[in-house]
Amino acid sequence: MKKGIFLKILVMFLAVAFLAGFSTVAVAKKIKVGGLMDTTGATSDVGKDYAIGMADAFKYINSQGGVNGKKIKYIWFDYGYRIPEAITKYKMLKRLGNIAIMGWGTGDTEALSPTVNKDKLPYVSASYSAHLTDPKKTPYNLFFSSDYSTNARSAITAWFDKKWPKHKDFGKRKPRFACCYMFASPYGSAPIKAIKDQAKLLGFEIGPDQDVSLFAIDTKSQVMALKKFKPDVVWHGNTTMSVAATVRDAYALGLGADWIINNWGFDENLPRLAGKAAEGVMGATPCAFFGQNYKNMDLVVSSAEQYSPGVPKGKRLIRTVQAWGDALVLWEAMKRADKKGVDLTKKGCGPGIMKEGFETMRNFDIGLGAAPISYTATDHRPATGCLIQEWKGGKFQTVEAVDLKKRWPKLWATKWLGW
Amino acid sequence: MSNVWLPCGNYHQNYAEDHGWWQTNFLKGKMILLLAVVFIGIPLVADEYWISVCSMIGYTAMGALGVQLLIGYTGLLTLGHAAFIAVGAYTSVMLILQFPWPQFLVDWGLAYPISIIMAGIAAGLWSVLFGLPSAKVKGFYLILTTMAAQFITVDFILTQYVSQIGGRGQAFSLPPGTIKIGPWVIENDIQIYFVMAVILTLMVIVLANLLRSKPGRAWVAIRDNDIAAEALGINIVWYKLLAFFVAGFMAGVAGAFWVCNTAALSPEHFQWFLSLWLVGVILIGGVGSIQGAIFGSIFMVVVMELLQMGVIPLSEYYPQILFDFAYIKDMAFGLAICGFLIYEPNGLAYRWWQAKNYFNLWPFSY
Repeated sequence: MKKGIFLKILVMFLAVAFLAGFSTVAVAKKIKVGGLMDTTGATSDVGKDYAIGMADAFKYINSQGGVNGKKIKYIWFDYGYRIPEAITKYKMLKRLGNIAIMGWGTGDTEALSPTVNKDKLPYVSASYSAHLTDPKKTPYNLFFSSDYSTNARSAITAWFDKKWPKHKDFGKRKPRFACCYMFASPYGSAPIKAIKDQAKLLGFEIGPDQDVSLFAIDTKSQVMALKKFKPDVVWHGNTTMSVAATVRDAYALGLGADWIINNWGFDENLPRLAGKAAEGVMGATPCAFFGQNYKNMDLVVSSAEQYSPGVPKGKRLIRTVQAWGDALVLWEAMKRADKKGVDLTKKGCGPGIMKEGFETMRNFDIGLGAAPISYTATDHRPATGCLIQEWKGGKFQTVEAVDLKKRWPKLWATKWLGW
Repeated sequence: MSNVWLPCGNYHQNYAEDHGWWQTNFLKGKMILLLAVVFIGIPLVADEYWISVCSMIGYTAMGALGVQLLIGYTGLLTLGHAAFIAVGAYTSVMLILQFPWPQFLVDWGLAYPISIIMAGIAAGLWSVLFGLPSAKVKGFYLILTTMAAQFITVDFILTQYVSQIGGRGQAFSLPPGTIKIGPWVIENDIQIYFVMAVILTLMVIVLANLLRSKPGRAWVAIRDNDIAAEALGINIVWYKLLAFFVAGFMAGVAGAFWVCNTAALSPEHFQWFLSLWLVGVILIGGVGSIQGAIFGSIFMVVVMELLQMGVIPLSEYYPQILFDFAYIKDMAFGLAICGFLIYEPNGLAYRWWQAKNYFNLWPFSY
């Protein structure tokens, strides 16, 4: 008898879920946008705020009339940073008729890239891997921010410009540089070749890399290994939680090196988690921190209050702003494409969104402290440099706004695209 | 004794007949119908999304068959099968991208098929290496040694060394058109599905044949009582290692198939959870049954997809469900295992067997 009840409940639940799932296929015609987010997996320490921010942004966009009067239906899934899941979920989003996808991690975005190209579906990711910026290889991958390699090159350049001249050994020897990141993570490893290339260009001595897991809470062995090399500056390419753990351990063990951090490891939570050890830590900031004084920040903050009242304003992060950055560039591209007559409610409008939308943008300002954004048919690097800030005296302060294109125009144009 | 119910008047005269594949015409008809459904029906009826779901079912089943052989047929508990799948995937990709293939092999589309076989052999040998402790330990201790395979293989060797080959490392990306079987470039969902269907069918045939042969009987004897099996003269170390090799081979082939599904690879594809997932698949499908591995794969993949479909309309009224969905999914996985262990410990394969028996005697069941 019990077995029967169990089976009946199971079958009924499956039937309801099945019918409900199919019923959504037949909703009224709207512009459908899908999302793949990580709110529970390895990068959820930064992914949750991003996912909330993205949902807020689309609600705001719809409150403003959507795309020239057409509302957006935004459906997203948490894939828990498991790449096989990202692939099946992407296919489901495609099946549901989404005309663009808001993606998340580097591993899944790069893994999906060949499929996205085949499907001609604009894929606006939270992964800013430079491997996604060459339209010859990845014509449908986009993001609003400076890419990781640009962040990394800018960060080490800013340290070299502003910190190294004040060092006691300046002029006596080469500066020493090392990297910490999760080797297995495509996100962590994405800019390593670029930052080492930049380190060589600037005349650094490069030490051995240290493998720090995205889940790391104890990194003493890696810090002890770094101590043997005595680096002057260390790049950390992980997300905030493991960056904070490393910075804390380095402080406790007296490593004595400066830290430069990729954008996903440098946010309002870093000083909260690392405490005194966060003092002087520098990082790449592709847009403003949550609540900073920029043109469109009021929209972000008021939408956060209105649409996500359950999350206290004090706990919102730069990740929300990043999500808005990606949502706003897609919105702008869709508005431009729609004006040119591209039917955004139909499948197969991806090439139109690219040609009439994204690739017409020149120095587009999202009003959230990001560098002006440009995409061309031959170059999807949105920005030519990055603002490097440091945590000092209880607030984020500007170290240097590095423009790589201005400083190395030939290398920027001919060598650095796509890695 | 055969597990097939024979029509009245049919008698087996020898062991060969007792273990024959096609014992009745009805059975032959059912198998032909099944193959027709797999190779003609599903590709005709299913859309691109459901085809990709079927490919995921096939990938899961390929991995689960190896786990079934180890746990269900030989009694060797394993929680490191993802490592062997990873070895297969990396072997295949490394061979495709790095090996200096003679041009005629590339032109004839043989590079990928050869890499699949090599992936199976590499993963099989790697699996044997981690199966060596099974000569001395079993049960929970063997679980730990197989878990070591995961950490040593994926987190250390593949991450630190193998995926560094070729520059940036970590995410091998196969350029379009690289995966070719004969004249066909494998690039869309339907082609991937056919690759899966052929490989899975071959795997099932090979495993079913092995199980009705001498090694199969030795494996079952070891599972039921390894001391008694040894007393009967079975070289249990040899057969345990053979089981590891065959299971590893199948995992390696599954990994090589996975490559054609994603065209990209990184160690993140093979997290430990995949090993646990595969054990869950055979627990739900039924331990000690090839059908169990297939049913478990269908159940786990389809239920998760249906859950996902159910979440979309619910999110209109309860947006928080989207944030909690991964937890719900993991909870469903856990609940499904608990539910089956409590209410149907023999798994879906047993239910299938009961249904078949009912209809075999219908309408005169009594």
